Amino acid sequence: MNAIEVSHLRRVFSSQIGVIKRTTREVVAVDDVSFEIQEGELFGLLGPNGAGKTTTVKMLTTLLIPTLGSASVKGFDVVARADEVRKRIGFIFGGERGLYWRLSGIDNLRYFASLYSVDPDVTKKRIPYLLEMVGLNGRGDEKVQGYSRGMKQRLHVARTLLHDPDVLFLDEPTLGLDPVGARDFRTVILNLQSEKKTILLTTHYMFEADALCDRIAVINHGRIIALDTPGGLKSHVRDLNVVEVETFGVPESVLGKLRALPFADSLSVEEQGQKQMLLIQTSRGAEAVPDVMSALDGVKIGRVIVREPTLEDAYVRLVDGAA
Amino acid sequence: MNIQLIRKYWRTILIVAEMNIRQQMTDGFVLFTVLFQPIIIALLGLWMLKDKGPDAAIFVVVGSGLTGLWSSLLFISGNSINFERWTGTLESLVAIPTPFEVIVFGKNLANVTQSLLSMVLGYFVAAFAFGYPMEIQQPWLFIPSVILAVIAFISFGLIIAPIFVMNPGVRAWQNAMEFPIYVMCGFLFPIALLPGWTNPISYLLPPYWAAVALHGTSNGGASLNETLFAWGMMLLFSLIDLLIASRLFAHMLYKARADATLGME
Repeated sequence: MNAIEVSHLRRVFSSQIGVIKRTTREVVAVDDVSFEIQEGELFGLLGPNGAGKTTTVKMLTTLLIPTLGSASVKGFDVVARADEVRKRIGFIFGGERGLYWRLSGIDNLRYFASLYSVDPDVTKKRIPYLLEMVGLNGRGDEKVQGYSRGMKQRLHVARTLLHDPDVLFLDEPTLGLDPVGARDFRTVILNLQSEKKTILLTTHYMFEADALCDRIAVINHGRIIALDTPGGLKSHVRDLNVVEVETFGVPESVLGKLRALPFADSLSVEEQGQKQMLLIQTSRGAEAVPDVMSALDGVKIGRVIVREPTLEDAYVRLVDGAA
Repeated sequence: MNIQLIRKYWRTILIVAEMNIRQQMTDGFVLFTVLFQPIIIALLGLWMLKDKGPDAAIFVVVGSGLTGLWSSLLFISGNSINFERWTGTLESLVAIPTPFEVIVFGKNLANVTQSLLSMVLGYFVAAFAFGYPMEIQQPWLFIPSVILAVIAFISFGLIIAPIFVMNPGVRAWQNAMEFPIYVMCGFLFPIALLPGWTNPISYLLPPYWAAVALHGTSNGGASLNETLFAWGMMLLFSLIDLLIASRLFAHMLYKARADATLGME
């Protein structure tokens, strides 16, 4: 059975501009999105900023009403049976907001347990269990305003598990966490998966999606442009290699030259402080390096490597191809 | 609605109220609105009427307490939903099984209960600072009057909050709505002193009937029938407010979900 079913979902945002002559501007955030998530599956939704990931999650968590199409969670329609959906879901939106900073961690959990109608006797046992599970044991009595970002995120996880929901929506849960905090968080997600929770995860971090997700949908400009397993998505770039070149102060004109190279399938630039990492996808592999180097003539260059493509490379190709 | 559900919601209301009081204990704006401002009004009133005796003193104490109730309702309860949006908790409160109006009821209960403290403090100020022999004339009628006033204020607050959310233009008039209610509802002096044409407006305001019951039972100036009528009006208005509130909340939440205004982003 599918835990989540999404059919031709569309969401349009309207806003009015102008003072005297008011005109309505419409932005299509989600456009004809369809997918299903099976019980116990960890499903990833990847896409650039503004692609429609959060809008999709908000429609599924009953916070937004779709403009068109339908969606159901555990068999209940997210509009007509929102009350039934809410009993069965938990959600985390990335960032530090959504908690009461003047209350302690335990009081936040007591508060939300009561809002989820968790029996008081169950609450008493569940709060220490969850605090231990998310690694906040011994810190529950402290006010949330003193928590680090990672601690707040972990408290969000505890909050969302209070009523033991079947389906979890995690919208960029590791956003802004330090590497250790993000790693710990991923362990928590894997633990939840082992408890057969159905999880919809949105993230910007490809390695995270690669390591965690059973299947991934790539969304861009509100539309799903690919839906497959991580391995299946990588097969989109199986014929390619990636030439990585570390440069210092590469000018735009040189980037233009690189893009014009006939064998360069795509070029992306990662700014890393003083240096720029150029990632050139090509089917020529190491043979492309001399031509790349000549195009970079006069530019200060660090290390150069040729490697197998990753999920991120597949993602870049898909998103660039759809742009 | 079955008994089990009422008990469940009541438990939620009490927790919401407790957590709100805990959060607001250190909030300077809340402390000023529910405690210091009514005490300042009480001190000024007691000073101005210091030659009028204990009857005037008890009127001032109850009246200043009512100003605290109204101000907390207008500013703290009125903004309760917007406050959740500003702090990013509104979405977490909407996408849960508990009806949102139950949560706002608990928040209003906290605000109104805290405001009653100002009445107690005013009582001690009048008794100890001004030396009045403060005595509630009809204590057995005063206590139910307080309970019904709390219910009437909470219910009134349940329609103010969604109106402020759906109509930001109305919220801009919030400051201007504070003092006229003090006057129109007879908190600090009887409405008999106002022009006669304003009286029907007062009769339509639930806080007016709270003032009638509390003033009348505290200074003994009201007959049993007058008090019972004020109780009836408070109950009637509470019922009407609750019915209107349930419609307003359903409409507000549907509109917020349709217009994407639950979050701040």
